[in-house]
Amino acid sequence: MKNVIIVISIILLWFPIEIKSQSILTSKHNLSVSSSGTIKATSESEVCIFCHTPHNSSPRAPLWNKNATGTTYLLYNSSTMEAIPGQPDGSSILCLSCHDGTIALGDLVSRSTQITMTNTMSPRGNLTTDLSNDHPISFTYDAALASADGQLKTPPLLNTELDNNSRLQCTSCHDPHKETYPKFLVASTEFSALCFTCHDRSYWANSTHNTSSKTWNGTGTDPWAHLESAYSNVSQNACANCHDPHNADGKPRLLKSLAEENNCLDCHNGNVAGKNIQTQLAKTYRHNVFGYIGVHNPTESPFVLTKHVECQDCHNPHASNATTAVAPFVNGFNRGVEGIDQSGNTVLTSTYEYEICYKCHAGNSWTPAPAFPRQINQNNVRLEFATSNPSFHPVVGARNNTEITPNLIAPNTASTVLYCSSCHASNDAGGPTGPHGSIYPQILKLQYTTTDNTSETATNYALCYSCHNRNNIINDNNTFKEHKKHIVKERTSCSVCHDPHGISSTQGNSSNNSNLINFRTGIVTPSSSGILRYEDTGAGTGRCYLTCHGENHDPESY
Amino acid sequence: MKAQKLLFTSIIAGFMSIVGFGQNIAGSAHDFSGETWNPGGEICQVCHTPHGAVTGLTAPLWNHEVTTATFTLYTNVVSPSFDATASQPAGASKLCLSCHDGTVAMDNFGGQTGGTDFISGGELLGTDLSNEHPVSFTYDDALATTDGGLFLPSTANSGLGGTIAADLLLGNQVQCSSCHDVHNASGIGNLLVKTNAGSALCLTCHNK
Repeated sequence: MKNVIIVISIILLWFPIEIKSQSILTSKHNLSVSSSGTIKATSESEVCIFCHTPHNSSPRAPLWNKNATGTTYLLYNSSTMEAIPGQPDGSSILCLSCHDGTIALGDLVSRSTQITMTNTMSPRGNLTTDLSNDHPISFTYDAALASADGQLKTPPLLNTELDNNSRLQCTSCHDPHKETYPKFLVASTEFSALCFTCHDRSYWANSTHNTSSKTWNGTGTDPWAHLESAYSNVSQNACANCHDPHNADGKPRLLKSLAEENNCLDCHNGNVAGKNIQTQLAKTYRHNVFGYIGVHNPTESPFVLTKHVECQDCHNPHASNATTAVAPFVNGFNRGVEGIDQSGNTVLTSTYEYEICYKCHAGNSWTPAPAFPRQINQNNVRLEFATSNPSFHPVVGARNNTEITPNLIAPNTASTVLYCSSCHASNDAGGPTGPHGSIYPQILKLQYTTTDNTSETATNYALCYSCHNRNNIINDNNTFKEHKKHIVKERTSCSVCHDPHGISSTQGNSSNNSNLINFRTGIVTPSSSGILRYEDTGAGTGRCYLTCHGENHDPESY
Repeated sequence: MKAQKLLFTSIIAGFMSIVGFGQNIAGSAHDFSGETWNPGGEICQVCHTPHGAVTGLTAPLWNHEVTTATFTLYTNVVSPSFDATASQPAGASKLCLSCHDGTVAMDNFGGQTGGTDFISGGELLGTDLSNEHPVSFTYDDALATTDGGLFLPSTANSGLGGTIAADLLLGNQVQCSSCHDVHNASGIGNLLVKTNAGSALCLTCHNK
């Protein structure tokens, strides 16, 4: 009994404190002279009067005391929004009778003279009449919308957040009378609890952006400078790491930065995230995410029609995580990204890494031409990697012959499958996986010299030798018997005879294009008989018709 | 016991006389003794009479013609957040509206009809009460609980010595008299029952 009394006493002691902290009197919405805020009347003592009047209100409910703004607002719009926001109505239009900045705070229906105020609303509080950078309001949020959108919770669960017409209004997030949470929010923003009242993002639960406890190291630009009161780590800030519900710089999707990459690089520059992507993207050969603003559109065809590249083309920030996979399956950092499958069809979620690369490198109208002209030219890497091809690097599936197997360096075997990013990646040892940037052309992770008359060294062909046994190759062991003559003595680059991706079966055949043979026509020319051709005549044998380095093979057999 | 009661009454009366000094209906907005439409020059007579009062009303010796208007109300259609049940003004509020709705002339008192002096300006509420604070609705603990933004009238302090229910409501109903004292006992502007500095009057009932 005594315990019960103590408990009740403690509760009673707490109550007045709790209630007081939630009173309008102690909030910024107390605009009277008694306010502890900076924006307040010079002498007016009434509090409610700034919004309400007991007589002659306009509009009638809720006994409103401010004139209508009469403004036509610029509304939020986004290609991914299914909702249809109208001009602000309901409670929202009331909020805007101060927060659009067109009517003075002290200009009231019930007062013939304006109440004199000190200070004015901050840029954050003054939304202006341009609401295109603010979270949409005054739209019907019903089950049909949730269904059409696919990433919104179905509203019967949260009717209290909507007005009587099932419309989302300012009051869905803000309670103007109670500052229980900062900014009069009705729920905490920690872990974006408020956002997730409505939003239901696919993949989010396992996303690193949801789970990471990384903090900013204090160097460079504060990644959370757009937040008035940021939490200390990524997980806590959640949606707000990238999104800003008001006055967002990147209007569609309310991103904190207009330049898409800045939403990512403010953290992925070594100051928050573990890997520094920004330094990779500054290299000579790179996916130049800085080159485009406003071109990328989440609703665009996965087979990209307009040339651009943004982080979001390869990464889904709502899904990315650190799980690792085995080629060709996507790693966690490429989770939840659209792609083009090996048959050329759109996939909403790429299963294999190469499906993401095919968005742009599969014969799009603007896909870069191959680096060198060859007998057979193909700018569609999807066709180059098909496992039905006469020869190919094993990206889509394991290789189709075992001739080369003895020369592979462990752990590579006949059944090895590679990622595109096995070759195309940062040149930094231990650098981030993936083709962000490199000092080597084609964003290759190691040196791959393609200049003719190059001295054979371990370094010059480091990329090839990272899988193919150099010692065997230059000593003609278990390989083409004339490698030493061609590479070492004649100083011919690997690339002169070999086309590393593969030769499409739509253009080549197993007799002339096995072993990735597809001569560079800028270096290799027809034989004296006018023939330029390789012929595979069986394991370890074949013949060539060509002229190269002054030598006429017409043909030369081995 | 009797002596104690007397003493107590005397103290209260003493206080009242101090507080109430110079603060009564005389000289207030409800003092019509100088109006041309009140040739008798009496203050009380415009509303009250000691004899022959209007019958059929639960009103204090009423002497003024009573409005028969049907009013447009502040309902939960006007304001979806209004949780009380709106009804036509009754009780004390109806008496106030017998001047303030503008349908009955101010000089229609003492049995006189056909008066021509109607209320005007900011005091004219009209018959459309949908832009006025609602009156004549029951404000009990159940309403406060449903609404969530109101104090419990049975226990919350009115600031006038007792509870909201005891000091401000009439039969558990909000009436004009909940906010206004027609006789101006407090002497506060707009005939308010207590000061509204800091919105103290509003926040007596509204838990905001």
